[in-house]
Amino acid sequence: MADCSFGITGKDFVLLASDQSAGRSIIKMKSDENKIRTLSPGLALAFGGEPGEFTSLGKRRLMGGTSNELAKRGGESDMIKRDTNNFVDYVERNLRLYQIRNNTELLPAPASAFIRKELANSIRSRSPYAVNLLLGGYDKVHSEAHLYSIDLYGTKAILPYAAQGLGIYVALSTMDKYWYPDITRDEAVELLKKCVAEVKLRLAYQFTFNAIVIDKEGVKNLPL
Amino acid sequence: MVYLKVGHMTCHMTSLELARTGGNLVNEVNYIGLWQIVNTNNSGKLVQIEYALNAVKQGVTAIAIKSGNGIVLATERKANSVLLKNDTNSKVELITPDIGMTYSGMGPDFRVLVDKARKLAHTNYKRIYNEYPPVKILVQEIAKVMQESTQSGGIRPFGVSLLVGGYDQHSESFQLYQVDPSGSYFPWKATAIGKSSVSAKTFLEKRWNENLELDDAIHVALLALKESVDGELTGENLDISVVSEPQQQSLGFLGTDVAGPRFKKLSAEEINDRLDAL
Amino acid sequence: MSDPFSINGGAAVAMVGKDCIAIACDTRLGSQSLGLANNFEKVFQMGKTTFLGLTGLATDVITLREDFRLKNNLYKLREEREMEPKTLANLVSTSLYERRFGPYFVSPIVAGLGKGGQPFICGFDLIGCIDFAKDFIVSGTASDQLYGTCESLYEPNLEPEDLFETISQALLNAVDRDALSGWGAVVYVVTKEKVVRRVLRTRQD
Repeated sequence: MADCSFGITGKDFVLLASDQSAGRSIIKMKSDENKIRTLSPGLALAFGGEPGEFTSLGKRRLMGGTSNELAKRGGESDMIKRDTNNFVDYVERNLRLYQIRNNTELLPAPASAFIRKELANSIRSRSPYAVNLLLGGYDKVHSEAHLYSIDLYGTKAILPYAAQGLGIYVALSTMDKYWYPDITRDEAVELLKKCVAEVKLRLAYQFTFNAIVIDKEGVKNLPL
Repeated sequence: MVYLKVGHMTCHMTSLELARTGGNLVNEVNYIGLWQIVNTNNSGKLVQIEYALNAVKQGVTAIAIKSGNGIVLATERKANSVLLKNDTNSKVELITPDIGMTYSGMGPDFRVLVDKARKLAHTNYKRIYNEYPPVKILVQEIAKVMQESTQSGGIRPFGVSLLVGGYDQHSESFQLYQVDPSGSYFPWKATAIGKSSVSAKTFLEKRWNENLELDDAIHVALLALKESVDGELTGENLDISVVSEPQQQSLGFLGTDVAGPRFKKLSAEEINDRLDAL
Repeated sequence: MSDPFSINGGAAVAMVGKDCIAIACDTRLGSQSLGLANNFEKVFQMGKTTFLGLTGLATDVITLREDFRLKNNLYKLREEREMEPKTLANLVSTSLYERRFGPYFVSPIVAGLGKGGQPFICGFDLIGCIDFAKDFIVSGTASDQLYGTCESLYEPNLEPEDLFETISQALLNAVDRDALSGWGAVVYVVTKEKVVRRVLRTRQD
């Protein structure tokens, strides 16, 4: 499925935006799917799955089974979504478990390490998850905004701004040009709108977007 | 008293007497281990470990002395019968080329620990770092084995105390440790374990000093053993090893920068020569 | 494309000087031709004068960095001293060979000063075969280029300042000829007295 997501940090906030399409190959089946998940009051992620049957490491990505069995489970498009949604559910519930056990939220940095490790272990398993994600969070202890890009191999990059999916082809250069370390929230929202505009202008695929902003107040929806 | 459930069977009280183990090497050592039962008396001591320590207390005296240029490990190896072929049994053993070990207590338990120590030196250290473990690390590994035998079901503690001496390449010094059945270990300058350990230690306290050389240490060890041995001291009924300078000739090959083993057993002739000079 | 060693790109190099060593890496993290991050360092300090460089598949670089950080810290606690570079090299070798039939796709290098300040460098293949070297060790997608620049620039017994210049020029000129490496560089020069870390400004294209 074609995905497109963005993340932009400022000094004390992170914006996350994701497309809302779900489908398979060139077919769009849904255009109001929420692909941003709030994990805790200061943490959220935008996620997407990799299109294609196999990963680069040559392992079969989807759960095993004949095409007949796949049909019984509800079709291939669901299979891919289940892959990504399963993983995000798993992450969300483990972070919640941590919060319950320790009576404290995991900060963005250790949360990113946990998610990375899960994906790094998964890629060497029999049926790896095919999830790319942008993790945004506000670190209340250090009063810092964090953005992590984590791919399906478990490759983690700490970035000031990032794009994933088809957005990398058209929006990264926009971000390179307009982002600067002291960018204000309004400017960041404008930058995000520029990126979305670029996607609509240059990509053949028609995306709709939803977005959030994370700061010390928590996670809020951001109307675009 | 605590009852331990082992498998499907709960044991109320089973005692297993392991009498006269060690054959002729250990004289009349009676060691009782309580099988599957952890007993604590009023003072909070684990009686199984007390029994094991009793086994050690009745064992043949073993002595170890550290000096500036080496360590000597010495013990008696007496044959109770002229019919016994005694020269094949060894009571001081090489663990790594730079570490030796001797004991007081039950011979069979010692041999098990020698096997385990040699194997641990490789699996937990040499096969990972391509170098032999320092003395302290090896001692900790052995102590771990002995401690675990005090806390596991179905087995008894080891009926030995060990003297482990060796050379540490990192601190470039010789180190000597005693390991007890409980898994406790102590670093020593010189010590004795076994039947006459108390008097031997008193003797060592008088004779040990910082300027001791290896030859003096061997001399002191022989004098201390003389006190605890009933019959005549001969090279044939003593087991003495030293850990000192690298023994290039016992490497078996020449022309490399590989250092030879520092552990060396003294032959009966060498011991007799030293006894003559006593 | 499917070669795990050249998905993310990156390069590292180590050199021996007179009573000193230097180890350096680029800071690019890519996804094939796309540059993802310019802050991805590949050289990690394991002790006062001991360094580990990891290039290859970035996820494995991170995984192994954490694995060796754990093993190194446990070693320090157990032995109450730091690991010698030679010991670290053997640990890296055995750790990689444990994954003989499902390896981590990395080309590690180790550099440091041993007991008495003895310079030590070495490299490994992905399953832990050690390549001991007297002069220099290269690794990463720019390793071919690094061999060229090192062969022509290196000379034995360089003083720390000259060694810094040599290793920096060797790395910079090599990564400029490799599309998957570059985007910044970090150089460590290690002597018995001190460790100097320098961040190099490179071309950002």
